[in-house]
Amino acid sequence: MKLLTHNLLSSHVRGVGPRGFPLRLQATEVRISPVEFNPDFVARMIPKVEWAALLEAADTLHLVEVPKEPIQGYEHDERFLRKMHHVLLEVDVLEGTLQCPESGRLFPISRGIPNMLLSDEETET
Amino acid sequence: MAAVPGGRRSGLAAGARFFCTAGRGLEPFLMREVRSRLAATQVEYISGKVFFTTCSDLNMLKKLKSAERLFLLIKKQLPFNVSSVSKGKIFNEMQRLTNDDPESWLNAISIWKNLLELDAKKVKLSQKNANPLKRKVGENDIIAKKLKTERMQEIQEKKECQLEKQIEEETLEQGNFTTKRDKSQEELQNGGAEAVDTHNQNDLTFRVSCRCSGAIAKTFTAQEVGRVIGIALMKQFGWKADLRNPNLEIFIHLSDIYSVVGIPVFRVPLASRAYIKTAGLRSTVAWAMASLAEIKAGAVVLDPMCGLGTILLEAAKEWPDVYYVGADVSDSQLLGACDNLKAAGLKDKIELLKVSVIGQSPKAIEIKTVTNGT
Repeated sequence: MKLLTHNLLSSHVRGVGPRGFPLRLQATEVRISPVEFNPDFVARMIPKVEWAALLEAADTLHLVEVPKEPIQGYEHDERFLRKMHHVLLEVDVLEGTLQCPESGRLFPISRGIPNMLLSDEETET
Repeated sequence: MAAVPGGRRSGLAAGARFFCTAGRGLEPFLMREVRSRLAATQVEYISGKVFFTTCSDLNMLKKLKSAERLFLLIKKQLPFNVSSVSKGKIFNEMQRLTNDDPESWLNAISIWKNLLELDAKKVKLSQKNANPLKRKVGENDIIAKKLKTERMQEIQEKKECQLEKQIEEETLEQGNFTTKRDKSQEELQNGGAEAVDTHNQNDLTFRVSCRCSGAIAKTFTAQEVGRVIGIALMKQFGWKADLRNPNLEIFIHLSDIYSVVGIPVFRVPLASRAYIKTAGLRSTVAWAMASLAEIKAGAVVLDPMCGLGTILLEAAKEWPDVYYVGADVSDSQLLGACDNLKAAGLKDKIELLKVSVIGQSPKAIEIKTVTNGT
């Protein structure tokens, strides 16, 4: 699971509403692997990023050189885009957990795939 | 589509006429596709086939995503009238398919050879061994054949495209893929290209694949018709029949609407994709569905019931600058999807989640949803 995906996930345990985001990340196995750099694509993802959630997750994974916020003219700043590219796309959490901040419910990550399935009682109506 | 209209040209000034078979319902997609991808003109849809004219070369033609199979057109004419005439008379009429206008046959065959030669020259220039993904063509072809519902009279043929060898009248060993490819490369390097050019018409081996539908199918079997046409061709052009591994395949479809004759351009149907290891949904349908989502660069695209990920694979190949996410509740499907992504080299473009979309959805901005889930 890449951090860009983590940035998109929230918990929908019953009663949690918007407080189900962001999920707290814990990783036991992380893989860093190179991904082809596409500056145009990264630039388009920047406006979609929830920065607080990203920084929290990056911090848990002890990542360095993570930009704190989008800088002016980021679309043309290759250094900035490359750092974002690395954080969002090249860090893969293979094993770990995601925790709902409100209910405490744990969602396991296994083989890089987070399991968000809820039981019937847990599901929001 | 991002392709340059027309793409690379085959050197034929006026363009060649082709037709494609398409699954029911996919014809509008195919018509749109040939226009945008191949700058095709004179596009017509008649009862399960899309006819069009284009100057594009084999590489561009290979990219068609909503077609089943592609053929070079030899003849299209009015259907045979089987109502009151004797069988013998109709056989005579069928022979006229080959005898009346041999020029159109020879024309089509020379266009076919040109297309292959152009492609063979590119193969010679690239000088590389077949890449690992191409091996998958063989495997996928097996799957595609099982899924195919065509009722053609075909003998199980070898899967690879033996471009360089088609012109020589050799008996081809049923060896493995790499050996043949190496051998062909050698031939090319030894001036095989010249051999292709000086091909003698009489050395051609051929096979007729015939399909009958409608009223004509009640009176004739496909084998009968195939035999009659085959014999007529042998008499007319002096070709030799080879049912196992012919240079040239002739495809005939006789229906209530038309009589169509063509040459299949590729050995492997277009619908069988080299990049899909295990097919879920049919690739042509998956591509068509992805095209409906009007995916633009920079989008986040979710398939909430992705199964083996076929729709996402087709989408990622066509619209690469996009973040794709696939979700499913089944472990086995997700494992299969993971496998597929690895085989296609798309692990970086497509993320997977185990999620039920009933009562749970990812928080996302501007998600475009594409699915086939039931």
